[in-house]
Amino acid sequence: MSAYDVMPDMELFQPVTVEDAAALAERLGSRGWVLAGGQDTYGWLKDRAKHPKAMVDLSSIDVLNGIEETDGGGVKIGAMTTLREVSRDQLIRARYGLLAAAAARVASPQIRNQGTLGGNVSQDTRCWYYRRGLSCYRAGGNICYADSPEGMNREHAIFGASRCVAVSPSDTATALVALDATMVIQNTRGVHRVAAGDFFVGPAVNITRMTVLRPGDILTAIELPADWAHAEYYFEKVADRNVWDFALVSIAAAFRTENGTIRDARLVCGAVSCVPRRLTSVERAVIGKPRNDSTGEAVAALASEGARPLNYNHFKAPLMDNLVRRALRA
Amino acid sequence: MSYLHIGKNFTPPDIHGKVTGKARYAEDYSVDGMVYARLYTSPMPHARVVEIDADEALAMEGVFGILTAEDVYPTEAPAPTLLTNEPVYVGDPIFAIAAIDEKTAEDALKKVRVKLEPLPFSVDPVTSLKPDGPSARLEGNIYPREMRSLHWSAEDVERFVTGREPTGPAPSEWSYGDLEAGFDNAALILEESFVTTGYAHMSMEPRSVLSYWQNGRCHVHGSTQSQSFVVPFLARMLGIEQKDLVFVAEYCGGGFGSKISAYPVLAIPGYFSKKLGRPVMLRITREEEYYVGSARVGFQGWIKAGFTREGRVSAVDLYIVQDLGSQQAGGDASSAGGAISILYQPDAMRLRDVPVLTNTTPRGPQRGPGQNQIAAIFEPMMDKAARELGLDPVAIRRLNAPDSSATLNANQGPVTSAYMKEALDRGAELFGWSERIKKSGQRNGSKVTGIGVGQGYHSAGANGFDGLVRITPDGRIHLHSGVGNLGTYSYAATTRAAAEALKCNWENCIVHHGSTEENLPWSSYQAGSNTTFTHTRANYVAAEDAIRKMKLIAAQVLGGTPDQYDIADERVFDIGNAARSLTYGEVAAKAVELGGEFSGETWPEDIHEVTQRAVQGIAGTGLIGVAKDNLPVRGTVPGLTVGFIEIELDLETGKHEIVDFLAVAECGTVLHPLGLAGQLRGGAVWGFGMAGLERHVYDPQNGLPANVGYYQTRPPTYLDIPAHMEWSAVDIADPDNPVGSRGVGEPAMGSATAALMCALSDALGGHLFNRTPVTPDVVVNHVSGQGQSHGPLATNTF
Amino acid sequence: MDIVEFREDVWGREVLLGVSWDLLWVVLTLSAVAIMVHIVVMTFLKSPPRPSAAGLHMERHAAVDRGFHWIMAVSVFVLLFTGVLPVVGVDFSWLTIHWVAGLILTAAVVFHTLRALFWQKPREMWVGADDFREPFDAGTKPGKYSLAQKGMHHAMTALVLLVIGTGLVLFAMIDTPWWNRSNALDESTLGWIFLLHGASTLGLIGLVALHVYFALRPEKRFYTRSMISGWISEDELRANHDPARWSPERSA
Ligand SMILES: Cc1cc2nc3c(=O)[nH]c(=O)nc-3n(C[C@H](O)[C@H](O)[C@H](O)COP(=O)(O)OP(=O)(O)OC[C@H]3O[C@@H](n4cnc5c(N)ncnc54)[C@H](O)[C@@H]3O)c2cc1C
Ligand code: SF4
Repeated sequence: MSAYDVMPDMELFQPVTVEDAAALAERLGSRGWVLAGGQDTYGWLKDRAKHPKAMVDLSSIDVLNGIEETDGGGVKIGAMTTLREVSRDQLIRARYGLLAAAAARVASPQIRNQGTLGGNVSQDTRCWYYRRGLSCYRAGGNICYADSPEGMNREHAIFGASRCVAVSPSDTATALVALDATMVIQNTRGVHRVAAGDFFVGPAVNITRMTVLRPGDILTAIELPADWAHAEYYFEKVADRNVWDFALVSIAAAFRTENGTIRDARLVCGAVSCVPRRLTSVERAVIGKPRNDSTGEAVAALASEGARPLNYNHFKAPLMDNLVRRALRA
Repeated sequence: MSYLHIGKNFTPPDIHGKVTGKARYAEDYSVDGMVYARLYTSPMPHARVVEIDADEALAMEGVFGILTAEDVYPTEAPAPTLLTNEPVYVGDPIFAIAAIDEKTAEDALKKVRVKLEPLPFSVDPVTSLKPDGPSARLEGNIYPREMRSLHWSAEDVERFVTGREPTGPAPSEWSYGDLEAGFDNAALILEESFVTTGYAHMSMEPRSVLSYWQNGRCHVHGSTQSQSFVVPFLARMLGIEQKDLVFVAEYCGGGFGSKISAYPVLAIPGYFSKKLGRPVMLRITREEEYYVGSARVGFQGWIKAGFTREGRVSAVDLYIVQDLGSQQAGGDASSAGGAISILYQPDAMRLRDVPVLTNTTPRGPQRGPGQNQIAAIFEPMMDKAARELGLDPVAIRRLNAPDSSATLNANQGPVTSAYMKEALDRGAELFGWSERIKKSGQRNGSKVTGIGVGQGYHSAGANGFDGLVRITPDGRIHLHSGVGNLGTYSYAATTRAAAEALKCNWENCIVHHGSTEENLPWSSYQAGSNTTFTHTRANYVAAEDAIRKMKLIAAQVLGGTPDQYDIADERVFDIGNAARSLTYGEVAAKAVELGGEFSGETWPEDIHEVTQRAVQGIAGTGLIGVAKDNLPVRGTVPGLTVGFIEIELDLETGKHEIVDFLAVAECGTVLHPLGLAGQLRGGAVWGFGMAGLERHVYDPQNGLPANVGYYQTRPPTYLDIPAHMEWSAVDIADPDNPVGSRGVGEPAMGSATAALMCALSDALGGHLFNRTPVTPDVVVNHVSGQGQSHGPLATNTF
Repeated sequence: MDIVEFREDVWGREVLLGVSWDLLWVVLTLSAVAIMVHIVVMTFLKSPPRPSAAGLHMERHAAVDRGFHWIMAVSVFVLLFTGVLPVVGVDFSWLTIHWVAGLILTAAVVFHTLRALFWQKPREMWVGADDFREPFDAGTKPGKYSLAQKGMHHAMTALVLLVIGTGLVLFAMIDTPWWNRSNALDESTLGWIFLLHGASTLGLIGLVALHVYFALRPEKRFYTRSMISGWISEDELRANHDPARWSPERSA
C-alpha cells in the first residue's frame, strides 16, 4: 500500500449533448466515471482508490448549466450549475433560501466555485476507512471496519445502518429533500423523474451506491416545486470547523404557517444516516402548533428516537434534538 | 534606549518572493536528467519485511531503480530510519522507486509484490503497559533514553485509568523541595487525571528534496527550519564529510518542530541519486507528510496540586505517560514539569514520567513540546483553585508569577530575567479584565460567555554560536546568517543586531542565507524559541569584531590608537576630529590589502568548523567580522506570554466562537514588531486548534490512522478564529542580551491554548474536561449529561 | 471468468472475498441444459402407461410434513431471491427478509430433522445396496423413496445444512435486534465462510431448478400432488413402489 497522489492514465470523453454522454456512460458501464466539478472525483482518482478506465466529462454540455423558472412557478437547476451559483442566484435566494443557505455551507469557497449541484448530491460518502481505499462492504467487500467493536466512528450513522454505517455527506441533499425536489435523470432509455426523497439509497437497498443513479444514468436537472417556495426555512450545519468541513449533523427545515400555527412542515437531518433523514414524527407532531420554543421543547426528543449510536457518535442524538429545537425557535 | 533597527519593522528579503510566487522551494528546482522517486510505505502498524519482489516494476519502461533499507544509513532502534525492514507504524517508508515521472513511479509501486509478516502492535501507551500488553518494537515498549520493556500490574493500570494516584513504576523521575510538607501546608488540594492529543505538525509544504552529485559533492535542496545546524547531521546521514555537502534550504513551507534538523526523507534522494547516477527528486504526498512529518507527543497523566489559603502553589506532583509514537522522542514530560516549575514557582515538586512507544506516527518536538500540553491542563486547574479559594483568575496567577528572582526545573536554577507580573498587569488592563470577567457565565439564548486567561512558557535562548559579517570595498555590509528561514523572519531580524552595532543603513546591508554556498556561520537550530536571543548575540559579537578591526585599520591608516576611533554613518572617525575618517568601503579595501585576520585569512580558534569553512569561502573579499558568542549568561532564558480570551459557547451545538483575544509577550526588548505579532497571532491560531479542533485518531484494531488529510485533521480555518487579534509586549530589556531581546515563538501558542481551555471551562461553570481537544461532540455530550463516548484517558481517539 | 473472488484485507494482503457470481450464469445455464436434455430424452423414450389416480388414497406425507416441506420451500425461495436478486442488480431492502427467512428455514430444518429421526422412519431415506439396482432393473421397485429422490434429498440436505451453517456464522457478523456485530472472524476466515455460503447457494440454485422441474414433469406430478394433498393412489403405489419395502396406510 502507498499514499498515491497522481492520477493514472485514463481516457477522457467530452461530449456536448446529454444523449452522447448517456450513450458513452452506458457503453462504458462500470469502467466509466461521470465527471462534473471533480471535487469528489479527483480525490478518489489521485488516491488510486477507485479505478475507472475512462471519464465522461459533462462540462461541455451547455443544457446542463443554469437556473430557470418553470411553468408552474417552480425552478429548474441544471445539474452542472456550480454551488457558488446556486448559493448566489437571486431567484433561488428569493424563493428557496433554504437551498441557497445549504449550498453556501458546502466545503469552502474554492470547492463551491468548482463543485456542482449535481455532483454534490451524487457524491460518495466520506467514511475514512472507505476513503482509504479499503475493501469494505461499500467497496464491494464483505466487512465493515467502522462498525466494529473498537471502530473509530465519530462521524458515522446513528440511523438506518445495514452492515454499512456511513453517512450522506451532502449539504444540499437535506435541503432538496425538505423542498421536495425532483431529480431528472436521463439515460439511453429516456428521461425519468425521481423524488429527492427516493433518490438517495441506504445500504439496506444498495450497499455500494449512495443514490439510484446507475452506470449510464446522467442526472440532468433538479426541479424545485412551487409548493415549497417562499416557505419559512431553517438551515444549520454543525461541523467541527466553520468552513471546509463536513457536517457532524445538519438540519434543513421548511414550514408553512397560517395564523401563527404550522400547517405543514418538512424537517430533514443530514449526516445521521446514509440518506438524508426525514424527521416524520417531528413533522407530524408540529402540525397545528405554533413555531416557537415550547413546541421545539415538546417535540425535540422525537428527532433522535430510535437512534442506535456506535462507539463514538452518541453526541449526534442530542445534537439532532437541539437542531430541531433551533429550527422551531428561529 | 533608542535604537536604529531594533524594535523597528523592516521588509525581510524573502517577502518579495513569497508574495510574488518567485520564491524557490526545494520542489521548484529542476536539473537535467532528474528522475522522480516515490515511497512505498507500510500498510501494517508493525511488521517484518519478508520479501520485496520488484522485478515486474523494474522491467517497466521509464523505471530506473529501487532503493531499500540495505542501501541506506543504518540506525539503531528507536532512532528514525530512512527506509526499513521492520516498519513500526502505518506509513513507515520501506522502499523507494525512481522513474521518469511520478505517475510512472506510482504505477511501478503497484507492481511491486511485498510480503510482510505482521508483528504485535499497540496504538495506546496504557494498553502497552498492561501486564501482557503488546510492545511497539521488538526491543521493548519504553524509551527512557534506552529501549526497555515495562509492564504494570493490572491494578496499576486500573488505578491509572480511573484517575487515582498512579502506582505504576515510572522509569524517570525528578523532584525538588519537600513535597509532603508542600501538601501539608496546602489549604486546597486538587487532583486531576488528563489526556492530551499528540496531533500532526502538518507542515504546509510536504517534504520535498532534490539531490544530485557533482564533483564528489552531494547537492541537497531541502526544506528545513535550520540552515547551518543541519549540515553536520545531514553529512553524517549521507556518510560524507561536511565539506562535501552543498545544502540549499532558502525557504521552508513550515516545520513547526518537524524539520529542525536532518530528517530521514532529506537523505533518501542523496542515496538514490548515487545509486542511479542521476539527480533524484522526491516530493512526498500530503498523506505521507502525516506519516513521516511527525506529531506532538501525547500525554496521559495525573496531577496533584496543593494551594495555600492565599493561593500560592505549595506543591505539585505530576505523573505523565508519554505517547512517543514509534521512534525516539520524549523531552516533553520533563519540559512540562519545567513549565510548571517556573510559571507557578511551587515550593516543592515532583515529576514522574513513563515514556512509552506506540505504533503511531513518529513524534517530535512540536511548538512548546510539553509546555503547551501542560498549559492546556494546568491553567484550568488554576482557575478551579481560584474558584474554590475565592480568588480572581488573574490575581492567583499574578501571585505565583515568576519575576527575575524566579527559579526553575529540578535544579532550581536562575533565569536571566522575568517580568510575568508586568505581562499579566499589562494584559489585564488592555483587555479590561475586571469588567470582562463580570460577563463570565452570561446567557444569551443558547450561548454562554466564557472568559479565560492563560500563560505560556518556553526557554527561549541559547549561546555559544558564531556570527559572521563582512564589509566589502563597495561599502556594502554583508550579514551572513546561518539561521534557517522557517517563516519567522528571524534569519534576517537577528542580523539587525549586527547592523545596529555597525550603525549602518539597512539598505546597504545584504543578508546571506539559505545555502552552504553563501558561506554561512555555525548556528543554533531554529527551534526552542531560541534564535532571537542566540543570534542577536552572535551577530552582535561578529559586528563588534568587525568594529574592532575597523578601528585598528583606521589607526593604522590615519594614525593614533584604535580607541581614539568610533563609528557612525558607515564611517570610522576620530573622536577628537570627526573629519579624520574612512568610509566602511575604504576600510574594507584596506582590510583586503592587509589580509590576515582583517580579511579572513586567519580566524579565531574557537569558531566552529562550519564557520571556518564559511570564512575561507569569503576570505580576501572584504573586512571580516567573525566571532563565537562568549558573552555571559546567568541562567535559563525565559520566553513568557499571556493570552486573554472571551468566547461564546453554544450549549446546543457545542461550538464556541472566539469573540476577542489578546496576547501579551514578555520577551525582553521587542526585536521585530511585525515578526512578533506574527508569532503571537500564529501561535494563537495554533493554540485554538489544539484546544478545540485538531484530531489524531487511530483504529486500535488495525493501527490505521484516520487523519491523513487536512479536512480530517481539522486545523483551524479563517472562520474559526477571530478576525482581529490584539497583541502587546512588556518590552523590558533582558540584561543578558546585547539588544535586550529574548525569544517567544512557542509560548505564544501555549498561552492561547490555555486561555481557550479556561474559557471553555468558565462557560460551563468550571467544568474541567482535562482533555484536548474539546470538540463540539465532547461539549454536547457533557451538556446533555449522557457521558462521553471515549473511555477514560483514551488517547489517539479524538 | 473467475471461480472465486479476492480482495485486499485491511493491511493490503490478498484474502478470499467469496464465490464469483459469474458462476450464477454458469449454474443457471447448466441447469437449463440438463433439463432440456432430459426433456428431449424423455420425449423419445417410450413412456409406460400412466397409473390412474382413482381408487384408494394411500398416505404418503403427513400434514405436518407437508407443511414443513412448503415452509422450507418458501423460505429457500425467499432466501435465494433475496440473496441473488441484489447481485444481479435488483435493488431492494433484502437483508432483513433474508435473515428472517434464514431463521425460519433453520427452525424448519431442525424440526424436520428431529421429527424424522425420532418420530419417523429414517431408514426410509437410507440408501442401501438394493437402491442401486433400481436404475438397471425394471423389476426392482423402490420403497417409499426412489434412489433419485433420496439423492435429491441428501444433496439438498447437505447444501441446506451448509448454507444454514455458514449463514448463521454470517448472521453473527451483522447487527440484529439482539446483538451488535462482532469482529470475531479474521478476514480470511470470513472469506471462506462467504465462499461456502455462496457456493452452497449456487448448488442449491441448480438443485432447486432440477427439483422443481421433476416436480412438474407429468409422470412425477402425482408426487407433487402428494406433497399438497398427502396421498397417492393405490395404482400409483403399485406402479412405482415395492409394497414389500413400503406399505403405507390408507389415507384418511
Ligand atoms: C475537502 C473537501 C471538503 C468538502 N466539504 C463538503 C461539505 O462540507 N459539504 C458537502 O456537501 N460536500 C463537501 N465536499 C464534497 C464536494 O463539495 C462535493 O463533492 C462537490 O459538490 C461535488 O461536486 P463536483 O461537481 O465536484 O462532483 P464530481 O466529483 O465531479 O462528481 C461527484 C460524483 O457524482 C457523480 N456525478 C456528478 N455529476 C453527475 C451527473 N450530472 N450525473 C450523474 N453523476 C454525476 C460523479 O460521477 C461522481 O461520482 C467536500 C469535498 C472536499 C474535497
Ligand atoms: S461504514 Fe460503510 S463505507 Fe465505512 S467501512 Fe463500513 S462499510 Fe465501508
